[in-house]
Amino acid sequence: MADVTITVDGVTLKVPAGTNVVDAARMAQIAIPVFCYHPRMKPVGMCRMCLVQIGTPKLDPATRQPLLDDAGKPVIAMLPKLQTGCTTPVSEGMVINTQSPEVKFAQRGVLEFLLTSHPLDCPVCDKGGECPLQNLTMAWGPATSRFDYTDKVHFEKPVPLGDLILLDRERCILCSRCVRFQDELADDPVLGFDHRGRNWMIISRSDPPFDSKFSGNTTDICPVGALTSSDFRFRARVWELRPVPAVCTFCPVGCNMTLDMRHERLMRVMPRENAAVNDIWLCDKGRYGHRFFEHESRLTTPLIRRGEHLVEASWEEALGLVAEQLEAVRRARGGAAIAGLAAPRLSNEDLYLFQKLFREHLESNNLDHLPGAPGEPAHDDLGALLGVGRDANLMDLGAGDVALVLGADPEEEAPLYVLRLRSAVQQGAHLIVANLRPTKLERSATLAARYLPGGELAFLHGLLRELLATGGGRVTVKSNGFDELKRVLNDTTAEQIAERSGVAVETIGAAARAIGEARRLVIIYGAEARSAGPALVEALGALLALSGKAGQSHSGLIALLPGGNSRGALDMGVRPDARPGYAPLARPGLGARDLWPAMRDGRVRAVWIAGLDPAASLPAARAALAEAELVVVQDLFLTATARLAHVVLPAASVAEREGTYTTAERRVQRSRQARGPVGHSRPDWQIFAEVGRALSARAGEAPARGTASSDAWNYLSAAEVAAEIAERVPGYAGVTYSALAATGKPGAWGRQANEAIFYDGTNYENTEGVGIKLPAPIETGAVSVNLVPRPIPAPADDRPLLLLSQPLAYGGDPLLRGSKLEQHIPAPYVALNVTDADRRNIHFGDLVRLDSAAGSLTLPARVVADVPPGVVLVPSDLPGVELAAVQTGPRTRVHLVKLVV
Amino acid sequence: MLGELFKGLGTTLRYIFKPPVTVQYPEVKRPVRERFRGRHELKRFADGTERCIGCSLCAAACPADAILVVPAENDPDNPVSHGERYAAVYEINMLRCIFCGYCEDACPTNAIVLEHQYELSFYDRRASIYTKEMLLVPPDRGHGDPPPILRELQRRPSPPAQIDL
Repeated sequence: MADVTITVDGVTLKVPAGTNVVDAARMAQIAIPVFCYHPRMKPVGMCRMCLVQIGTPKLDPATRQPLLDDAGKPVIAMLPKLQTGCTTPVSEGMVINTQSPEVKFAQRGVLEFLLTSHPLDCPVCDKGGECPLQNLTMAWGPATSRFDYTDKVHFEKPVPLGDLILLDRERCILCSRCVRFQDELADDPVLGFDHRGRNWMIISRSDPPFDSKFSGNTTDICPVGALTSSDFRFRARVWELRPVPAVCTFCPVGCNMTLDMRHERLMRVMPRENAAVNDIWLCDKGRYGHRFFEHESRLTTPLIRRGEHLVEASWEEALGLVAEQLEAVRRARGGAAIAGLAAPRLSNEDLYLFQKLFREHLESNNLDHLPGAPGEPAHDDLGALLGVGRDANLMDLGAGDVALVLGADPEEEAPLYVLRLRSAVQQGAHLIVANLRPTKLERSATLAARYLPGGELAFLHGLLRELLATGGGRVTVKSNGFDELKRVLNDTTAEQIAERSGVAVETIGAAARAIGEARRLVIIYGAEARSAGPALVEALGALLALSGKAGQSHSGLIALLPGGNSRGALDMGVRPDARPGYAPLARPGLGARDLWPAMRDGRVRAVWIAGLDPAASLPAARAALAEAELVVVQDLFLTATARLAHVVLPAASVAEREGTYTTAERRVQRSRQARGPVGHSRPDWQIFAEVGRALSARAGEAPARGTASSDAWNYLSAAEVAAEIAERVPGYAGVTYSALAATGKPGAWGRQANEAIFYDGTNYENTEGVGIKLPAPIETGAVSVNLVPRPIPAPADDRPLLLLSQPLAYGGDPLLRGSKLEQHIPAPYVALNVTDADRRNIHFGDLVRLDSAAGSLTLPARVVADVPPGVVLVPSDLPGVELAAVQTGPRTRVHLVKLVV
Repeated sequence: MLGELFKGLGTTLRYIFKPPVTVQYPEVKRPVRERFRGRHELKRFADGTERCIGCSLCAAACPADAILVVPAENDPDNPVSHGERYAAVYEINMLRCIFCGYCEDACPTNAIVLEHQYELSFYDRRASIYTKEMLLVPPDRGHGDPPPILRELQRRPSPPAQIDL
């Protein structure tokens, strides 16, 4: 938009048209105090704090030209009353006065009025010290009040809005920031106003109360202490906290957060601003879920099995035993008899050293980063190879851009993406949501498509066909199989595709048109899409290629993988079939799923499991581990797997060590150490390095083997490992700790001088690094897109229902232990459609048995409307549900039998 | 020379019959001034509840960083202090304290007061940390009524936050 010239307190400047007066003044480094206005939300003008004097040039009625006075300056007509700056857009020649006596009088009056009903219990208020009401009163308010202090209205307090958020009605100034956040940004319209006058108050309108995954953000943006979190209630004063920059490892978004420590204890978690990742928000899982590292059940010393018992041991003893036994197995049976599993929440340094240890010293490619459940889809490569490139930024998505979300439920898999995608829509981007079942994000979509179970590939072929028919083959990157794709697509008609996919011809056409015309195209796919098999992801790659966006730096695929660093694990080559940087191996090792049968057969005798707990949910793993010669488990807690181990090594948690993590869009971010390790626990990379050192010392006795030099394991810090990653892993060049600490160009990032008015107590400024976005291999032309259409093999199983596992944000993540979110973990259930339930006479709460080719599982039923007929959903990873007992693959055909008790 | 000797003895003789300016400490203790700043006491209200509300403002004001406060939430059925909050841990490191009295000034409830006790000596550093139990006055030595803001009187009932749907 065109710029307009305005004058604020005598300073003349140009600002974009449409800017409101508050923001415009901010550009001139002039602060206008606000309570209800927040730069991320639409202005409402409720608090009246931003009252300013505004004048516009007088126009000559005849010529419509500004009238000039004797000095040749335009005559300014001041508006007769003060105006709210947040709701007034600037106009050409506008004169704004923020310092006049009238304005100061109004500001003092507003603050005096607000304080008449404010209890002034700042000494016991959790917001005290970072409270905009305190700060604005000090800067703009009157020193005294004419109202009788004893005449204040007092309410009983606090009132729980949910179990996480507490409301203090005395303190509330009714700015509606929380209500608007829930309505506009989070799309969980669960808050509202009730009553009137002095009794006007915030209420929760949902059941369970305040049912939102973003509720914690309302406590941040609350300009007073009306909304406080039960998690931080009376734990410390905010000025006593030591903020440590960290990265959340709960989901692939990789939100920047701040661990607020007091001495060695975590007091609270706050968002840290990073416009490219989480803006200034944090989901409740990240905010309230990080209590695990202070849980009393943390492992503190190494344990070694002596007969039936695990007894405490020293690190020298434990590591010596691990090195000796691994070496013994390798000598006796070769490296193929050793396997390693490392969790996708470990840092890149851990994962890199883990695979280095296995590949170089133990000569084994039996590596994986998943527990090996039958429901796990194949490893996702295209999310990186065709990923979004160096310049990608979800915040920049706006008019002309298209985000396609296919087969994903971002609210559960990557909650912050809901906020990012919604703000993209508000900035004018197209959001196409295609799913098997309704998701929350669908409500925000500009175009929603719901395909039939098994119709997702047909839907994508429909899009490809339309793109070919209209745009026609604009594949600008290296590819193969274009002719075959054209042949297959030309063999079908739009109507056939519509019938197979269950999506109307017009919808497919509209979606294809939007994708074809897009300036940028970001495709996000999740667990449901990946469960359909690699063919579907390849079709998404073909869609990207045919839209002409492949290889463009700001377009590409984003895969929502489980865990916080699955992308890092794939990049680092913690997988049986590829080295770091997706370099395929000629002779791949065993993946986790093949590992358990191989251990039963005795082909694999030793296994090292870092951070995963396969024994908790996989009967096959339990049986295999019981028979193994050596089981080394490295974890935070004594898990079910650790109970079966011969050696248990205590690992340091994410807060107790440094590390880098790679997000879903392949941004590498650095997390810092907030506290010393618990007990004798050590960072994972250090444990791997020490075993590597012990093994190379042994190899030194018997030389001429392997490629590793013995001095390669003398890492002193995680930064040294990161430096080696930057040197050796393709794509990670330049990703060193010092580079990660950069926050970009000075001035381009960070706060303006008076920005604290808006962000007081809401989040932390990012001064410790915004991370480095990795380039996608397709950008550099290093990969070619496979366009050959592959069918999704139909299961040879005539059971009537399709079982899908559904990842939940508050699922059975063992790391939620000790947090208030533990109560939010649902009891196990199977969700099915009303029609399916009616046909089998199943009611809500009935026990039903799922029968598949693999086995059976009994669960209580939930009859719901938002599961399509023919599909049953079971939340994955819930404690006590062994989904592996019934799953034959990512998608399983099942029978449903009602059990009569 | 002899004259000076008698002059000096004369002074001695004159002071023999005056009352002494020194006292036999520790058997005899001199009274301190009303505003003397000695060892801290944590006061109580007349009803026996603690005045301290765990706000940490004393710790914030302390220039020597001698005070540690760990707050906690009052159990409504068995409150330690008036209002929602109390100090679960209150410690003063007497080796660090410089007896400036800023904590007293900062306290919104007059809970921490520097009293007249000045005999503070320790055999080890750990003993220099005075805990809340040591600092609190006995329950029967409280004074004054809690201010209205801390009283639960006159509070309007707050309807539940969730309305019937």
